[in-house]
Amino acid sequence: MIKIEMQDVCFGYGRKVVLKEMTFQVRPGEMVGLIGPNGCGKSTIIRTLSRIISPHSGKILLDGKNVREIPRQDLARLLGVVPQMPLLPSAFTAFEIVLMGRNPHLSPFQYEGPRELTIAWQAMERTATHSLAERRVSELSGGEIQCLLIARVLAQEPKAILLDEPTANLDIGRQIEILDLIKNLCRENNLTVLAALHDLNLASQYCDRLVLINNGRVHAEGTPKEVITARNIKEVYGAEDCVYLHPVDGLPCVLLNAGNSKSIRTKEEIA
Amino acid sequence: MIPLVRATHAYHLRWRSRLYGIAGLALLLGVIMVVATAVGSTHIPLNTIWGILLSRLPLIDIIPAWSAAAETIIIDIRLPRVLLAGLVGAALAIAGATYQGLFRNPLADPYLIGVAQGAALGAVIGFLLPFTWHGMGFGIIPLLAFTGALVSTTIVYGLARVGKTLPVTTLILAGVALGALLGSIISYLIIFSGEKMHGIIFWLMGSFSLSQWSEVKIVLPYVVVGIVIILLYARPLNIMQLGEEQAQQLGINVERLKLVLLVAATLITAAAVSFVGIIGFVGIIIPHAVRLIWGADHRFLLPLSVLTGAIFLILTDLIARTALAPTEIPIGVITALCGAPFFLYLLRRKRKILF
Repeated sequence: MIKIEMQDVCFGYGRKVVLKEMTFQVRPGEMVGLIGPNGCGKSTIIRTLSRIISPHSGKILLDGKNVREIPRQDLARLLGVVPQMPLLPSAFTAFEIVLMGRNPHLSPFQYEGPRELTIAWQAMERTATHSLAERRVSELSGGEIQCLLIARVLAQEPKAILLDEPTANLDIGRQIEILDLIKNLCRENNLTVLAALHDLNLASQYCDRLVLINNGRVHAEGTPKEVITARNIKEVYGAEDCVYLHPVDGLPCVLLNAGNSKSIRTKEEIA
Repeated sequence: MIPLVRATHAYHLRWRSRLYGIAGLALLLGVIMVVATAVGSTHIPLNTIWGILLSRLPLIDIIPAWSAAAETIIIDIRLPRVLLAGLVGAALAIAGATYQGLFRNPLADPYLIGVAQGAALGAVIGFLLPFTWHGMGFGIIPLLAFTGALVSTTIVYGLARVGKTLPVTTLILAGVALGALLGSIISYLIIFSGEKMHGIIFWLMGSFSLSQWSEVKIVLPYVVVGIVIILLYARPLNIMQLGEEQAQQLGINVERLKLVLLVAATLITAAAVSFVGIIGFVGIIIPHAVRLIWGADHRFLLPLSVLTGAIFLILTDLIARTALAPTEIPIGVITALCGAPFFLYLLRRKRKILF
C-alpha cells in the first residue's frame, strides 16, 4: 500500500498543454477513478505517473519519494501498469506474457526459476486465465487479453496499480467481471488503485473516490456522490439533466436523453 | 498444484525441444566444418584430414604420414576460410536477430543503419587509393571498411537522437537516407574506377577467397565478445517485444538496453563485413527461419541463429568455391540463390505469425 501524489504537475506535447498544475492524491489502499472527457489528460496522467514521460514542472511522489529519483526497476516493483488494449507480440504464449511480469524482480541476466513460474501461475489462477496458459496471444479475445494483463500486473506484485481504461471495448458482462476482479484484488492485497475510466456509471459503482479532469485541470474531487452531480456533468461534458440515483445502492448514475447535447447545432442555428 | 505441474510441464517441454535444437545444431556445425575442410579442388583423403586436424590439438601425438603440401592446404588455406565463414555467418545472423528484436520490425537486417554502405564506401576508397598499406596482419581495405562502418553508424545514431532518447523510426529512416547518399557516392566512384572495377564489385558481393589466419584472429574476439553480450540480454530483449512503453513499465531501462545492443550488433557486423565484403541475405533470413522453426523467445532465437548462420555460410561458401571450380562465384550470389527458395518453402509451410 502506497500513497500516490501529484503536485502542481504541468505537461504538454509540443505546444499543446495537456496537464495544468495537476494536483491530487490517492491514499493508501484506496481505489480512485480518473474520469473526464476524451483528450482531457487521463492517459497522460498514467504515463507521467509511470515515468514514460516526465512533467515539465511539479512533482510526482510515491510515498513521499519523487519518482524521478527511483530507478526504473525499483519503480516497477512499486507500480504496476495495465495499459489500454496494447498490441502483444503474437508469437508468445499467455503464460510467457504473464511471466514477463516477474521482470522487475530479476536481474537482466537472470532467468525465471520455479518461484517465478509458481507466482505467474497463481496470478493466472486468480484471474481465471490459467486455462489459456499455453495459447498464443494472437488467439485471444479482447476480454481475455485484458484479464491476462491483470494477471501480469499481479505477477509483478506491485504496491499500487494504474489502469488505463480497463473496460474499453468490452461488453457489459466483461466490464463488471474485470472491475469486480480489480476491486477484490485491491482489497485482498491492500493495493492502491488508480483507474482511468470513461464509463461514469462504472466509476461511480466501483471507486472509493473520483477525480474529474477537464482541460488538464482537476474539476472536482471526492466521493462519487460529490463528483457526479448534474452541475459537474453539465460543466464538463455539456450533457444536461442526466444524473439520477441508482435505485438499489443510491449511488449517482448517468442516464442520457437524446437531443440534450450542447455542442451540436442545427442547420437553422448556424444559418 | 497439479495444473501448475501441467503448465510448467508444457513450458519445460518447449525449453527441452529448443535445447535439443541447440545441441543438434552444434553437432551439425562440427560435422559441416570437417566436411567443408575436406572438400576442395585438391583431393585429400578424410583419414589424412582427421590426422592433420587432430595432430594440431594439444596432448595428441600423431606421426605425420602426409605431405607438407596437404598440411598447408588444410591448415593454412581451407581451415581459416571455413572458420571465417562460420564467424561471419554467426555474426550476421545474431546481429540481424538483434536488430529485428530491438526494432520489432521483420524487415530489419544488420545493414539497416548504415554499416554496409559505410563499410563499402571505406573499402572502395581503399581500392582507389594510389598506395597500399599492410600492418597488424591486414591491409588498408579492411581498415578503411571498418572505419567507414563505424563512422556512418555514428552519424546515423547522432542524427536520430532526440534529447536523451533514440526513437527507432527516426533511427531506421536516418539509416536508410544516409545509406542512399553513400550508395550514390559509391556508384559514382565505381564508374570512374577503371580497371579496379572488377575487384571492387567482387568485394561488394562478398568473398572468402582471401581468408587467412590473421583475419580469423582479428574477427574472432569481436564476434565472440559481441555474441556473449547480446546473449546476456536475451531475456530483456523478449520484454522489448511488448513495445518500449510496456518494457519501461516492467522495469527495463530501454534506452540503455538499445544502446548496449546496438553497439554490440554494429561492432560485430562491422568486423565481419570489413574482411569479407557485404554478404547479404544471411542477416535477414536466418533469424526468420529460426523463428519459424523454434519460436520467438530470444533466449533460443539468438543462439540458434548463431549456429544456423555459421552452418549456412560455411555451406554456401563451399558451394561458391566448388560449384564452378576453379572459378569462384561471389558468395552473395549463392546465399540468396540457395537460401531464398528454402525460406519461401518454410514461409508457405509454417504460416505462423512471425512476430
